[in-house]
Amino acid sequence: MGNVLVWAVWFLAAGGCLASGVAVVSLTNPFFSALALIGNLASLAVLYLLLAAEFLAAAQVLVYAGAVMVMFLFVVAYLGGKADAPWVGGPPLLRTAAVVAASALLVEVVVVLGLAWGDELSAPAEVADGFGSPASIGELFLTDHLLAFEITSIVLLVAAIGGVVLGTAREREEAA
Amino acid sequence: MAVGGWICLLAPLAGALLITLAGGRISRRTAGWISTLSTFVAFGGAVTAFFATWAASPDEREHLSTAYTWLAAGDFEVGFQILVDPLSTVMMLVVSGVGGLIVWYSMGYMGGDDEERRYFAYMSLFVFSMLMLVEAGNFLLLLVGWGLVGLASYLLIGFWHKRPEAVAAAKKAFVVNALGDATFVLGAVLLIWETGTLEYFGVFERVDGLSSTTVNLVALGLLGGAVAKSAQIPLHTWLPDAMEGPTPVSALIHAATMVTAGVYLLVRAHPIFEAAPDIQHLAAILGAVTLLVAGAVALVQWDIKRVIAYSTMSQIGYMFMAAGIGAYGYAIFHLMTHAFFKALLFLAAGVVIHHLADEQDIRRMGGLKDALPRTHIAFLVGTLALVGIPPFAGFWSKDGIISSALATGGALGWTLYVASLAGVLLTGAYAFRLYFAVFRGPPPEHAQEAHGHGEGPRSMLVPVGFLTLLSTIGGLVVIPGVWHPFTDWIGETAEALVEPTTAQDYLTSAIAVALGLVGAGFAHRAFRDRRQLVTSPGAWRVLEHKVYFDELYDALFYRPAVALSNALRSDVEEPIVERSMEEIGSGTIQVGGGVGRLQSGLLRSYALAIAFAVVVLVVVFVAVR
Amino acid sequence: MDGPDVGWYLIVAAILFGIGSLGVMLRRSPLIVLLSLEIMLNAGSLTLIAFARQQGSLDGQVFALAVMAVAAAEVAIGLGLIVAMARREMPLDVDRASTLRG
Repeated sequence: MGNVLVWAVWFLAAGGCLASGVAVVSLTNPFFSALALIGNLASLAVLYLLLAAEFLAAAQVLVYAGAVMVMFLFVVAYLGGKADAPWVGGPPLLRTAAVVAASALLVEVVVVLGLAWGDELSAPAEVADGFGSPASIGELFLTDHLLAFEITSIVLLVAAIGGVVLGTAREREEAA
Repeated sequence: MAVGGWICLLAPLAGALLITLAGGRISRRTAGWISTLSTFVAFGGAVTAFFATWAASPDEREHLSTAYTWLAAGDFEVGFQILVDPLSTVMMLVVSGVGGLIVWYSMGYMGGDDEERRYFAYMSLFVFSMLMLVEAGNFLLLLVGWGLVGLASYLLIGFWHKRPEAVAAAKKAFVVNALGDATFVLGAVLLIWETGTLEYFGVFERVDGLSSTTVNLVALGLLGGAVAKSAQIPLHTWLPDAMEGPTPVSALIHAATMVTAGVYLLVRAHPIFEAAPDIQHLAAILGAVTLLVAGAVALVQWDIKRVIAYSTMSQIGYMFMAAGIGAYGYAIFHLMTHAFFKALLFLAAGVVIHHLADEQDIRRMGGLKDALPRTHIAFLVGTLALVGIPPFAGFWSKDGIISSALATGGALGWTLYVASLAGVLLTGAYAFRLYFAVFRGPPPEHAQEAHGHGEGPRSMLVPVGFLTLLSTIGGLVVIPGVWHPFTDWIGETAEALVEPTTAQDYLTSAIAVALGLVGAGFAHRAFRDRRQLVTSPGAWRVLEHKVYFDELYDALFYRPAVALSNALRSDVEEPIVERSMEEIGSGTIQVGGGVGRLQSGLLRSYALAIAFAVVVLVVVFVAVR
Repeated sequence: MDGPDVGWYLIVAAILFGIGSLGVMLRRSPLIVLLSLEIMLNAGSLTLIAFARQQGSLDGQVFALAVMAVAAAEVAIGLGLIVAMARREMPLDVDRASTLRG
């Protein structure tokens, strides 16, 4: 019974993920595309939960969907009509080539997975209850992966400064 | 002992460096003094070394002094070492002594030349190089000195570099010597290969263990170098042309010292040659051939310096002959006396040339006996020494060589004996021809008169005086039957293979003196009758063209080389090399243009390219795993 | 583990990645391209977390968290660029921004 529930949830989440992904890529109004992406992020959060990554699921919803996407929506609103995105494809060669490349990649992944499935992928490791909890991730961040932690914070700092620079440049342009 | 040797070696180097570094800051005269004094300091060092060696007991007369290990490669090691032993002390004395006198003379001869400082720097460089050559304790350092004297010779022959003949002569000297250097190096390499060392003592100990092929090849290599450096046939063509250099240069390098380096090598490396007797006899034969041919050619030359140059070639032939039959003591003895009288002749000729405002053609000279009395005496003494009239120096040394040939006996000994006696006849003829033409008879109609400051400055006449003295008494260190300290001294380093008896000595001397006087008589008769010594036109032409050696080498080596170069240029360089360079250039431009078209500027095609790259890479990674 | 194997998650991630790359290569509006990039990044994060579960090691999740932070930074700058383009009255079309043409 529990198993059926898990499978059902999985299908829902995976389906929502893929559907919203297609929506993001194919809608002409960027506002709707952004909303579709929020849906995508939510579905992914569910999938994370199923994979015993609770903290990440929460972070995904809070940070990604909550902050990043909101910022996106703000910009789209600011741009207004200029942000319209008609479906003009580009040279036909480019279109076919793109489809070919994407499908090739997909096929490759499936093949590789198929090759490796039998041995390892069906036997996931046993995990403790605290796997994926904020405490365990926090512990890793502050011990084994301290460097990554610090560098990530520097990246964020740089991005913030970059944003300010881009913004100030705009204002100076306006003043001149 | 070693201290003297080091001072002797390094003083001229210091002089050369000083002059070079001071550049234009010192006057030309100062440069001359630096050079002269440094050479005399070297002479002082040589004297010290000599007396120290003499004072030591006969067993301890070889002193090897190493400054530092210069080259080390695996087991092979070569040090910067000098050897002070009887042979090298004699050579040091001759080089620095005669060299000092000649450099002093140059101060007067070259005075007023614009580039006097360069000249004296080169002269000091040369003295240093020659001293390195004779003081070296191993073959490598000998080779260094060998090469450096070649360099100094090139620089000094081409000193008046604005004259194309001088430049050409310098090149010729260098190229011919390079041939000898090459064979020398090959011999040295073979020595390293077979014996693992280049030190004299190391090599000489191991000579007996070498196969005869090896020893013959090494000896042949060394002989090749000696033949080139000493201007023996067949590598002699450079010496007459080298007379383009200033007269003191001709005196120092091409009479007294550098050209005798070959003889020194033959004596120093005598264990190698004794183990390869065929090569040693070859050296003797080459010497005999040279002394005859050079003597004959000297009979018809017009240039005063060229006559003396051929005379030098001839006399070195005697020394080669002596070394070739094992009479090492007499070879070095003749080297020393020859340095005295040949330098004397050159320097006296220089006074004449200087006096006549650079006239060198003897047809335009004559009757200088009264104008240049002291030079006349000097030249006469030099000529007598050259011909071998007692009691002058040449008599004692040359006759020692000839009687050694007699003592050798056998086919070789008799051939050499006859050849050397014939050479004495030729020597008498050409030497006195020269003397009469320059100093006797009436002056020619268009005689060039010179700057009239008397016979010459003191700096030129005093060295000439010294050399006159040395040419007179210098030979008295060996009197057969009475005493022979000189040959004994050399014999400690290189024991003679053959010793003439007193009777042979006296017999030979009598014949030689007689022949010399006969030759002089021929010259006198020809002079009196105002005709040439060689009357047959065919012989005349051959001798005037120096037996056509230059033409032969031109046809054998120079023309084919030029033809080959031209052929290579037109058939290989231009069509293949140059064309392919152009092709590569234009091909690169084409490829660049093509690649440029890939840069469309479209962001999406770049993204597409990345996607494709990822696709390919995944396949690669999976396959490689 | 209940539910699907890790492999299924990986397939979902792969398909998501393909969709995202198609969006990058086929759309002309920079906003949509940016959104597609986000989808690709998320697909990568999903893969990481799936493997983290598979291996029993939290390193994958840590990596995914870092990816999230970097993605946030990247979106900020990208949006800044887009707004700058709009400010200068440039058309919001990636094909028109082709001054890298060689």
